[in-house]
Amino acid sequence: MRQYKTFSYRLFNLFVNLVMLTSLLLCLTPFVYMIALSLSSPKAIINNEVFLWPKGFNLESYKQIFTYPNFFHAYGNTLFYTFAGSAISLGLMVLFAYPLSKSKLRGQKTLMKLVIFSMFFTGGLIPNYLLVSSLHLVNTRWAMLLPFAINQFNLILLINFFRSIPNDLEEAAIIDGLDYFGILIRIILPLSGAALATVGLYTAVFFWNDWFNGLIYLKSSQFPVMLFLRNIVTGTSMVGDAAGSGDKTTIAISIKSAVIITSTLPIIVLYPFLQRYFVKGVMIGAVKG
Amino acid sequence: MKRPDSADQTITTRKYLARYWQLYLMIVLPLLYFIIFKYVPMVGNVLAFRRYRPGMGAWGTEWVGLTYFRRFFEDPAFWRAFRNTLVLSLLNLVVNFPIPIIFAILVNEVRHLAFKKVVQTVSYMPRFISTVVVIAILGELLSPSSGIVNLFRMKVLGQKAIYFMNDTTFFRLIYILVDTWQYTGWTAIIYLAAITAIPQDLYEAATIDGANKSQQILYITIPSIMPTIMVMLILNVGRLLSLGFEKVLLMYTPDNSMVSDIIDTLVYRTGLANQNYSYATAIGLFSGIIGIILVAGSNSLSKRLTGDGIY
Amino acid sequence: MKKTLCVTLLVFMAVALTLSSAGVQEKKSDGPIAFSLYYSDNATLPFKQDWLTVTEAQKRVNAKVEFEIIPIADYQTKVSLALNTGTNAPDVILYQSTKGENAALALNGALVPISDYEAWTPNFNARVKEFGLGDDVAGLKLKDGKRYFLPSLFDVPFYDGGLILREDLLAKYNLKAPKTFDELYNVLKVFKQNNPASYPLTILAGPRVLYRMTMPSWGISLGKNGASGTNTLSWDYANKRYFAGAISEEYKSYITFFHKLYAEGLLDPEMADPIDGDKWSQKLATGKSMATYAYYDQVGGVTATTTIPGFKLQMYPALAGPAGAHHQPKSKTGSGILFPIKTSKRADFELLVRAVDEMFFSTENAKLWCLGVEGITYTMKDGKVQFVPEILNSSEGIYKSLQVKYGCGSDVTQMVWVNSREMTKYDENYARINAEVEAIGDVIQAIPPNPKFDDRQAEQAGTLQTPLSDAFERWNSAFLTGSKDIGRDWDAYVKEMKALGIEKFTDLYNTSL
Repeated sequence: MRQYKTFSYRLFNLFVNLVMLTSLLLCLTPFVYMIALSLSSPKAIINNEVFLWPKGFNLESYKQIFTYPNFFHAYGNTLFYTFAGSAISLGLMVLFAYPLSKSKLRGQKTLMKLVIFSMFFTGGLIPNYLLVSSLHLVNTRWAMLLPFAINQFNLILLINFFRSIPNDLEEAAIIDGLDYFGILIRIILPLSGAALATVGLYTAVFFWNDWFNGLIYLKSSQFPVMLFLRNIVTGTSMVGDAAGSGDKTTIAISIKSAVIITSTLPIIVLYPFLQRYFVKGVMIGAVKG
Repeated sequence: MKRPDSADQTITTRKYLARYWQLYLMIVLPLLYFIIFKYVPMVGNVLAFRRYRPGMGAWGTEWVGLTYFRRFFEDPAFWRAFRNTLVLSLLNLVVNFPIPIIFAILVNEVRHLAFKKVVQTVSYMPRFISTVVVIAILGELLSPSSGIVNLFRMKVLGQKAIYFMNDTTFFRLIYILVDTWQYTGWTAIIYLAAITAIPQDLYEAATIDGANKSQQILYITIPSIMPTIMVMLILNVGRLLSLGFEKVLLMYTPDNSMVSDIIDTLVYRTGLANQNYSYATAIGLFSGIIGIILVAGSNSLSKRLTGDGIY
Repeated sequence: MKKTLCVTLLVFMAVALTLSSAGVQEKKSDGPIAFSLYYSDNATLPFKQDWLTVTEAQKRVNAKVEFEIIPIADYQTKVSLALNTGTNAPDVILYQSTKGENAALALNGALVPISDYEAWTPNFNARVKEFGLGDDVAGLKLKDGKRYFLPSLFDVPFYDGGLILREDLLAKYNLKAPKTFDELYNVLKVFKQNNPASYPLTILAGPRVLYRMTMPSWGISLGKNGASGTNTLSWDYANKRYFAGAISEEYKSYITFFHKLYAEGLLDPEMADPIDGDKWSQKLATGKSMATYAYYDQVGGVTATTTIPGFKLQMYPALAGPAGAHHQPKSKTGSGILFPIKTSKRADFELLVRAVDEMFFSTENAKLWCLGVEGITYTMKDGKVQFVPEILNSSEGIYKSLQVKYGCGSDVTQMVWVNSREMTKYDENYARINAEVEAIGDVIQAIPPNPKFDDRQAEQAGTLQTPLSDAFERWNSAFLTGSKDIGRDWDAYVKEMKALGIEKFTDLYNTSL
């Protein structure tokens, strides 16, 4: 019996590790390839000599990106939008999600339907623009932060996570004399590390990648860096260029790769920092403590 | 103080509010936000019934009734696009809904902690490569003249090269596999967070009872994250009509258009020829109605089957 | 009558301005005029606030311009939104015309009908007269008889792209440079025989570049970048009418020829969008392909990266087909400057229009946007332009160096294009090819006239256009690759196009000329 268990356990472990290794390779290779491309000379790339290791090592591509006017300024803008946007967003969503997670609260069902309904009907580009414009937010940084401060999908995730927290904790807190704001801050939030990390990550990535709101609402000095970077990567390959003048300009793949690395690395390293919230047993500690 | 439950149904509104006013206070700000930023712009949907003329006001110039709806209802290209959208979406759901769940469960079973962290971090990276680049890399791999796949077919198997990116039969497969690659790790984060919340003592008790790994997964892990799975499923079903527009657009060729033309690409081409906001609004409204019906349906189904739904 | 009125008004205003510093004017007449402007920014040529051209132009007309730098991929969205909502629009928008949505916007009053203010654009008028473009500019009027933008002006259109071949291989295989498409076929055939694994003729950015550069030699221009913008109609230059090019015998003969190239492995089968410029370079640089249709500017980049000894790419004049030797049609007017209607409410509107006219169209400033400042970027010697050594000897070439460092020759800001002046920026080879092309005569035909639609007709045309265009693209691709047989399936194709209303579409265009 004991023997069998160990064997099956080992087999299972082997299987898991194999799957993980495969997905690791599948996901990592393109990145390594692009890093290699971004550090290689155009000559080596055109002649198909680059695979996972740079050839004709040079930093020209990165130099060229960094010399784009206002590159660092735009990068700073993006950092601001990401932090401020995530903070506002998480704040609003937590305030909304906690009451909505109480299915017995009067009006909760109506509010949930209101949220879901708004996922499917939007007004379209022009009405949204006119709204932001009439609130006098155009050409202010708020235009980047407010229109998408609550994402219904993330909100529903958060509600769902709050629901899974056992009610006994709350009841105990009420007996201890805590009010609902106190419960939210002292009990619910500390227990929702993984949930907040997930929703926070999703939100941060949204603000990090959002270029469209920047484009339509802001002045060019307030543009997020993604607007420029996206343009380098997609500017010439998107369809629909009327006269076809876009066909004339080609941007070296080394520069495109460098752009992708520059624009994704900072947000990718965010996850490892959040990973500590994904540790089992947080809940147990809380209940026992 | 008591938490809101069935016993409260009998007490008066005043008492009820006195007890729970803080919860309602919390709602005020986000609700205001919802009304202003999500509901006010919805007025724009009147454009589906009014003719929009550029430069003559945002709300259109005259009522035209169902003209724009009739236009696409009578258009065979729309129904083809509708069918293509549904087929691609359903296939995508069948394949790519379970994969992140399985992946999350397996990641959770990795014993070596450092390896586990590396896998998690790396697996969500593909989400960050722009779709344009993903398709370009794919074009490279599948190129009929220089792509690895075709070189293998020609040199090793002695078969003819296939131009995958331009072939009707491969479009859906490629789309779905790219989705798997791009979003598995990203979506799995949600399930990983849900798994985190499972009390550890459940597993400890099971181990003592002699349950093996697969039994633990089947009887503890999956039931514990079932509410999350259901929520995700309902939300995904509601989004059946919205696919990765940019990806389809980039993979669209005249040759595969019979299967690759979806509602969004059709609207895009129609709009490109003539910035037709009214037509696009009408189609948007139609898609929204279908989405609401799908969500409501799957939600009530979920409630009946598992007792849980999103509302 | 209108002119005299304008002039009188002008004199009056000028007097009023000199007399009073207060009054209606926001700014004193001797202070700089300030205005905001949308600029379409190309990632290969990022805009710099301190470009010599930009600072000098503002200094010369005493203006203070607030440039809004908008990436080119999203430029149309930003412009469209500004014009559709009317709020927050800038004073001036560059790099626009009144095609498509802008025509409807103009007719519905969102744009300034700049042709009504002729007296305020003396420099523009002078260039139009100088180049003899009166008719071309008149052709830009919309249904209401007004023109809504100041187009850029070309005296002679350039032959800036076309057939590009490996000259070294022609010599190696003892081949003459092709003059007709049949000769091109033979050249490709020899290339293929000597390199069986190759696809001799490759494609830049999908087949659209190939189509738009070669179809005119058959008397048609169709598809995504077809000259008329209709995708399925072509212009009959002899009878000055549109015809259903997509179902014409001319097209049938065209697609038969290219199907032959495809079937014999002479044409690169890889043609789905998006094809990276890099991939194209790669195929040429590694010798997998030896011929292409592309732009002269791109030759240098490929040559710089190849490792093949003796590698030389050369551009050739347009080849003769059944309808003669023609290249992609080009207009002598290009995208230019438009003014949102809000700008006309400015008290100093006239000053603004005059400043813009002066800034982009005066003889001196036209030279500035093309060559830079005399004494800094170039000197004149015996009436000839001589660039300073720094530019002359730069590794990227004169043209590119002037663009990147000084902002010269950007098609966003340069409004006046004199062919002979442009040629001073290129090598002799390019000038020679252009001279050869000019000698053939009528190689670059004019772009067909825009129909004068009101917005209802435009909507109707748009509704017909998309399904027709879809069907054409699908069939065209099928004919090319042979999945549909041109002989056997042609009638079914024509029937489908007729069912989709190609005849009605043609009529709609012809009755609105």
